[in-house]
Amino acid sequence: MNLERLPNEEKLTLCRKYYFGGFAFLPFLWLVNVVWFFKEAFVEPTYTEQLQIKTYVKRSGLGFLLWVAVLTTWITIFQHFRAEWGEVGDYLSFTIPLGIP
Amino acid sequence: TVPCVRLLNATHQIGCQSSISGDTGVIHVLESEADLEWPLSKGPNPPYMVLLESSLFTKSIMMKMKNASSRVAGVVVVQKTSPPEFSPHTTCPNENTGVYTETYDHNLAHCNTTVWNPRGNGLSYEEFDSPVFSLKEDNETEVIKQCYFDHNRVVNGSGLQYPLCAMQLFSHMHAVTDTATCMRRSSMDFSTSPVMVCDPLGGYNVCAFIRPYNSTAFGHKENESVVIAAARLDSRAFFLEDSTGAEGSVSGFVTLLAAAQALREATQEAPPTRNILFAFFHGEVFDYIGSSRMVYDMKNNMFVIDLDNVHSILEIGQVKTLRSGTNLFLHSDPVSRRNNTVTNLVKNLQSSTAGLNFSLVETDFSQPLPPSSFQRLLRARAIPGIVLADHQTDINNRYYESFYDNAAHLNLTYPSNLSPEEQLEFVTDTAKSLTEVATAVARALFKQAGGNNSQVNKINADPKTVTQMLYGFLVRSNNSWFQAVMAPELKDILHTLTSIKKVLGSSLRCVFCLSEPNPPQYYVGVAKSSHQANALTYLVQYLLANLTGTATNLTQSQCKKPDELPNESTYLYSYLWVQGVVPPNSTQRESFCVRTAVRLVKAVSPAFDLGDYISKEYSTWTKSQWKFIKARIFLVASRDLEMLTLGVGVAVLFTSLLVTYFVRTKADVLFSSVREPNNAAY
Repeated sequence: MNLERLPNEEKLTLCRKYYFGGFAFLPFLWLVNVVWFFKEAFVEPTYTEQLQIKTYVKRSGLGFLLWVAVLTTWITIFQHFRAEWGEVGDYLSFTIPLGIP
Repeated sequence: TVPCVRLLNATHQIGCQSSISGDTGVIHVLESEADLEWPLSKGPNPPYMVLLESSLFTKSIMMKMKNASSRVAGVVVVQKTSPPEFSPHTTCPNENTGVYTETYDHNLAHCNTTVWNPRGNGLSYEEFDSPVFSLKEDNETEVIKQCYFDHNRVVNGSGLQYPLCAMQLFSHMHAVTDTATCMRRSSMDFSTSPVMVCDPLGGYNVCAFIRPYNSTAFGHKENESVVIAAARLDSRAFFLEDSTGAEGSVSGFVTLLAAAQALREATQEAPPTRNILFAFFHGEVFDYIGSSRMVYDMKNNMFVIDLDNVHSILEIGQVKTLRSGTNLFLHSDPVSRRNNTVTNLVKNLQSSTAGLNFSLVETDFSQPLPPSSFQRLLRARAIPGIVLADHQTDINNRYYESFYDNAAHLNLTYPSNLSPEEQLEFVTDTAKSLTEVATAVARALFKQAGGNNSQVNKINADPKTVTQMLYGFLVRSNNSWFQAVMAPELKDILHTLTSIKKVLGSSLRCVFCLSEPNPPQYYVGVAKSSHQANALTYLVQYLLANLTGTATNLTQSQCKKPDELPNESTYLYSYLWVQGVVPPNSTQRESFCVRTAVRLVKAVSPAFDLGDYISKEYSTWTKSQWKFIKARIFLVASRDLEMLTLGVGVAVLFTSLLVTYFVRTKADVLFSSVREPNNAAY
């Protein structure tokens, strides 16, 4: 979808939808929000709705970074300690690799 | 090719593992122990795949290669000459599951008084993280050696020229850590098709009473007293599917089979007061699977008798060929010796050798029992018993539980000009001496069971049966006698299968079956969920049926459903339709129905029924599953050449990207539009 052809109110509505959608444990929506609306929020000359879009983009960015931090930490811990956790590790896993602890 | 596979128990994993995409190494044929320097440190092209002959397959060489696993990708053992002695088993077999625990007698536990297998180097119980395969000396091995001589030989100490001959071994095992982990992973089913990771070891015990009981009535039998005659069926080797166990197990159970035959007539004419149970236990090498199962069944009223009915036990251990004048030894348990309960049995045994060429000598009273199934029965109840063996102190079998314990080790030699059928009938010296032992055992059992003393001297084992059994079990199982005693639907198992390539986990698909006449495999194998035993179990079942049962006149359909007939009962007997012999003037076999008291009793460790996978009481051995096992050789290029090829490829990719980009941006310059003169002509 080409944002150039949309009127500004519709751009704001779209950005808001993606921002609120990301709260449903969907951090990729926030990433899309940041990437897609970055030019609109920070590069384009000012227009009325731009301030709102800027806040949405900034908050989406923060939310996404938070998710990245949490997931990276959990994935690192799990991959490192799964073998040591024995039974708990097996119950937390969906596919267990064959032949290695 | 026979691979070394992974086995697991409650605490450890043993055996070998390869990586999931196989282990590749440059082939190096090891000539001596000093030559190990080359793959371990001097050689310039690690990793190496070490090919060694069986005489170099020693613990020191294997441990050195295990410690240098970054330079040694795998080991291939070529079976050639046998070393003077080799036993990969532990020094104290089954030390935690026998009767000698700390509580029973502190001094006798953990082989403190007698080390039973002093030659044992424990190689079978080591863990290797690189694949180890075994090859026979045949055309394939020649190809491998030729490839090595053509490409890999070091010329005057100078460096080797690429391309080099390399070998890749695939034997990726699915199970890890221990039995509890792999059983847990096998039972978790998140997806629609759960992946089975390991299988418990087990099989079937073969049991026969001379006076059968109703097979549905379990538990204690009033006023019944049973003498158990036991032997073990299985053995193992470092490479599990190469187990032969000639002295270790075959000598014992062949003797007991011959004794069972010898007792048939006497017990039918004048039945003794006590019953006799012939019990052939399977899985004894792996912490007494068969005997622990029988004891468990007896204690929980799942067997036709229980421990109170057992009067005494005579177990036949390894009984090697005797030169005339040598003795066999009677082992008993020192703790129960103090109660003098064994003296009667000893007396009966010693008097049974009258007129035979050997005598039975008791061992030192303070010496414990050797590893034997009797230990499990003793662990449950103080029953008097004797283990008959050819060693006075430690086990003198030079090849205990190894793949050299074969017909040659038992001195089973035949004159060279005989055909296979003539070899089957030829009575070897080994057979003659085992026949004498079987006669003594049969007479002793008869007396122990309270039989009439006047009948004893008529009990004699048949040397022809013994030699035929030895031939069939150790040389060639596809012979006319074995064919005659087997059922028609089972006759194909006699083309035994030394090279079974297991495809798709545990289902035994015979992808590459050799129809070579080889002896059956003695390793207990995994307990299959269907009622299928392995070849050895069926052979012993049908042989025992033939030697102790009676031929009937039933037709084949009657044999399947004998209950409809007035005098037959499937509660007491089992009815087996066997092929029979081919009469000299015809091609059709004279099949008939045998009525026999022989039954197969499931022999899986109670730990799996109880779900106690960390049990210290019962065997917890399982075998890992795998997808495929294969090996291949090919020529491999140097690393530099590989990197160069990759670099050139990447460079070509980037160059083409650049060229495409430039052509695209300058397209209007390069492809200046030429007006088509006749474009409006259509």
